[in-house]
Amino acid sequence: MSYVPGQPVTAVVQRVEIHKLRQGENLILGFSIGGGIDQDPAQNPFSEDKTDKGIYVTRVSEGGPAEVAGLQIGDKIMQVNGWDMTMVTHDQARKRLTKRSEEVVRLLVTRQGLQKAVQQSMLA
Amino acid sequence: MDDYDIRSAASILASVKEQEARFERLTRALEEERRNVSLQLERAHQPCEQPRASTCAIGNGQPLATAWQQLVLQEQSPGNQTSLAMMQEPQEMVEETVTVEEDPGTPTSHVSIVTSEDGTTRRTETKVTKMVKTVTTRTVRQVPLGPDGLPVLDGSSPLGSYTDSIDRRYLKNGERYLPPQASSTLTRSYNSYGEGPDGPYRSFHAHDASGGYGGAELPDGYGSLSRGIGYRPRYAYVPGNSYRPEDGSYTLPSRREAYGPPGAQPQVPPVGSGPDLTVSSRSQPERFQPEPYGLEDDNRSLGVDDEGYELDPDYSTVTRRLPAGVPERSRPHKGRAYDEPSEGEMIDERIPYIHGGYAAPLAQPERGSMASIDRLGKRSPSIDSIRKDPRWRDPDLPEVIAMLSHPIDPVKSNAAAYLQHLCYENDKIKKDVRHLKGIAILVGLLDHPKAEVHRRACGALRNISYGRDHENKVAIKGCDGIPALIRLLRKTSDMEVRELITGTLWNLSSYEPLKMVIINHGLQTLTNEVIVPHSGWESEPNEDSKPRDAEWTTVFKNTSGCLRNVSSDGAEARRRLRECDGLVDALLHALQSAIGKKDTDNKSVENCVCIMRNLSYHVHKEVPGADKYQEPEASQAASTGALPRRKKDDASCFGSKKAKEDWFSQGKKNGGMDRNFDTLDLPKRSESAKGFELLYQPEVVRLYLSILTESQNFNTLEAAAGALQNLSAGTWMWSTYIRAMVRKERGLPVLVELLQSDSDKVVRAVSIALRNLSMDRRNKDLIGSYAMAELVRNLPSRQQRTAKNLEEDTVVAVLNTIHEIVTDSAENARSLVQTQGIQKLVGISKSSQSMREMKAASHVLQMVWSYKELRGALQKDGWNKSHFQTAASSAPKGPKGTPGKAGYDDSTLPLVEKTHDGYSTIDHRERKYRAGDPSGDASEKEPLKTDPARKPPHRSNRASVNLVDGRDPKPPPVDSWV
Repeated sequence: MSYVPGQPVTAVVQRVEIHKLRQGENLILGFSIGGGIDQDPAQNPFSEDKTDKGIYVTRVSEGGPAEVAGLQIGDKIMQVNGWDMTMVTHDQARKRLTKRSEEVVRLLVTRQGLQKAVQQSMLA
Repeated sequence: MDDYDIRSAASILASVKEQEARFERLTRALEEERRNVSLQLERAHQPCEQPRASTCAIGNGQPLATAWQQLVLQEQSPGNQTSLAMMQEPQEMVEETVTVEEDPGTPTSHVSIVTSEDGTTRRTETKVTKMVKTVTTRTVRQVPLGPDGLPVLDGSSPLGSYTDSIDRRYLKNGERYLPPQASSTLTRSYNSYGEGPDGPYRSFHAHDASGGYGGAELPDGYGSLSRGIGYRPRYAYVPGNSYRPEDGSYTLPSRREAYGPPGAQPQVPPVGSGPDLTVSSRSQPERFQPEPYGLEDDNRSLGVDDEGYELDPDYSTVTRRLPAGVPERSRPHKGRAYDEPSEGEMIDERIPYIHGGYAAPLAQPERGSMASIDRLGKRSPSIDSIRKDPRWRDPDLPEVIAMLSHPIDPVKSNAAAYLQHLCYENDKIKKDVRHLKGIAILVGLLDHPKAEVHRRACGALRNISYGRDHENKVAIKGCDGIPALIRLLRKTSDMEVRELITGTLWNLSSYEPLKMVIINHGLQTLTNEVIVPHSGWESEPNEDSKPRDAEWTTVFKNTSGCLRNVSSDGAEARRRLRECDGLVDALLHALQSAIGKKDTDNKSVENCVCIMRNLSYHVHKEVPGADKYQEPEASQAASTGALPRRKKDDASCFGSKKAKEDWFSQGKKNGGMDRNFDTLDLPKRSESAKGFELLYQPEVVRLYLSILTESQNFNTLEAAAGALQNLSAGTWMWSTYIRAMVRKERGLPVLVELLQSDSDKVVRAVSIALRNLSMDRRNKDLIGSYAMAELVRNLPSRQQRTAKNLEEDTVVAVLNTIHEIVTDSAENARSLVQTQGIQKLVGISKSSQSMREMKAASHVLQMVWSYKELRGALQKDGWNKSHFQTAASSAPKGPKGTPGKAGYDDSTLPLVEKTHDGYSTIDHRERKYRAGDPSGDASEKEPLKTDPARKPPHRSNRASVNLVDGRDPKPPPVDSWV
């Protein structure tokens, strides 16, 4: 999954569409993110490549919108509503996800299992 | 005929009178209507910040005059672009230095609130809501008026419904507070600015307001007029214009954001101020009719105008695109998102309202005025042509550096500002600047008489001095930058320049070899110019005046940070700082004031406490006349100075047993003295202590204890505990007093409570302090009975590390403290047994991963086993000799396992050594102190080490909340719920 910044990336991705849940004033997605270009990538427990500064799903709340939509812990978020998430700061990612104006977010995520599964199916 | 005439004259008169009366009625009605509306308007403005509203609203009032003045000022600065850049500067600089938190320019230092875009925005929006309500009322009034001025039924007018639909559209986009009126949109943006916590925003205001003023001043001709005001002079001041276009070019995409936001920011306020102004200045209802049209025009022309004078094609396209893109925000702007995602986001972060705020006018076409749009149309092409003009390009680095020597001052300052901008977070450019000899020129500009020039030069140097590449720092020093900075500090009273200077010095001070240089050139100046005045301390206080409080300014923070770094540069540096006139006094005063105001968590306090701790290190050996105060035994052993060597000599020429006796007797003696002390015996002074003497006066104990009680800042806590540790470690009379004073001031419980701290280093510092304090016999008894449980709790249990997962050093420190406490105190050993400490100790000594922990634990166990009176109880608990002696295999056996002796072979391991030196002679205690200073030492050096080491996280943490704790070496990974 390592790549050169600025160069095209090829990754097997899954679309996840999360409908935000309104909680009082807030719209929640029900997961938490870690990572970002301003964070120490070495501390990311989910990345294969420890220099990967991408945004990762670190927790998913039980029964929350994200879980319902099929998001999993350790997923790497590639895009949010079409916005690139592979080269953003943590805060930028957070903001992109928490736009009050957007009740639905469409994520492109990739996860380790996904890549392998596709490869295997192609081999088979 | 006559009659008829008369009658007709009368009737005419009557009819005239009647008409007059009707007219009067009408006038009254009109008047009332007008009053009504203006009242509402006023109400509309109240929720937003009054002064600001008035700035934009009262067309010819004073505020505008100031705004105008500010505009002029900015014009004098080299070009608008740079003045904008300057406003942005603080952010840049701050990020570059260690002085991150209080950065006035970081617009993104918002609270992270889960679903809101950012805290500030949200707060603002709340306010806006109120305002919008009122404004909406007005809209309703306005809407029912048909184009011909006749009232139309509510909602039935096409206009009304149109507005409605527009509103809904916005709502869908989540801009729910978007008022249907441009003016309120406007005000809203003002509001957001106003909510901004920081100065730079305010300056934007003034500036923006002035931009709006242009439009407002001549409501009819504003289009062109404001343009003239808005951008012509800026052109004039941009040298060669060559650097300006950089903004629009794509050579430095990631850099552009530094300019971008300021470029983008002003766009909104002018948009707002225009209509706002118009509305309030003509509040007569009948004029509302034509006005909406004018408003729209206003918005547009101002908006475009703005783009024009920003000359930021990129931004203008963004802003143009955004409004258009509002309905489908989810569609990413190709190329933008991928090329510079951060920039796209920057716009978002800094001008959260830009989508809505700026979009609003465009989305309200009902107000368009053809005439003015025509005007617009004529104008835009010219802007475009400027933009596309191939003559503009970026100057390359050598050109910029050459411009630093340009004969025209604005060119110099512009070039310096541009350099600062280029250097931001770009180590390569910094290096290139160095190689191109740019640093020397910048340093030369520090002496330039024009404020604008030396300010920019200083800003550039501040960015260049930041980073791990010490060669830049060396280069600044190499061309006498440090004395030049100090000279400028003495000369200037401009706060911003002072912040830049001290920030640069703080950066420079993180590099070891420069510390002494800074001390040599700047110590007294920094103290006199910054530390003393900002601390509130007065060397000869006026009896009438109240003692002043410290001001936690950025300048003070930077300067104290710099001194904190240089204070760790060894004995000579400490000596110089201690003997620097007024420094210790001022620092103490500042800390007292911090405690008085219960403001002990900030960075400045942290810096001050760290300096105090560093200066307290070895104070008993290093201050002039320290010999006089040595305790009898100590002075005997150390009759002739040369303390460092003494240690070794003693190690070789005293047997440990003798050493132990010495220590023992001294301990007893100390105990005796302490008892005396408790009743009376503080040394009487003929005059009050001052300067470095203040460092070790028993009175400081209360200060440190207050900090330990009050502060939530781990670094500060650690430093305060470290100071007590340093002060109580000494072998002179003052240390004896300090140890007793801590007890007298009820400091032991404070320290013991801090053993529960979540911070590893706090636990360690406190634990070592307790160990030093227990050199006092009564302290030892008290600590043994009250602290044992907490100490044991900090030890890892067999199954797992402690919940806190303390570092090895800390565990060893705790073990050593326990060892110290149980030594020569069977009572304390008993309480160790009672607190289930044996189980943990055995666990550590048998199975710890760490050799040092294992040894330290087994030494404690040996000591416990040496109390024969405890063996019965121990055996009853199921322990036997092997549990206490196993470690002896790893620790060399001394006679009867005397740990003191065993320790000697471990002397290569400094922390283990610590366990034993307490037993030996004073010198060994000295050594322990020394060894204890690994913690002391580490702590001493810490500020210094932190800087280089801690910068990386810093730098990467750009523009985010994390900056706040950026100084932690490894900030825990941020994890945000969304």
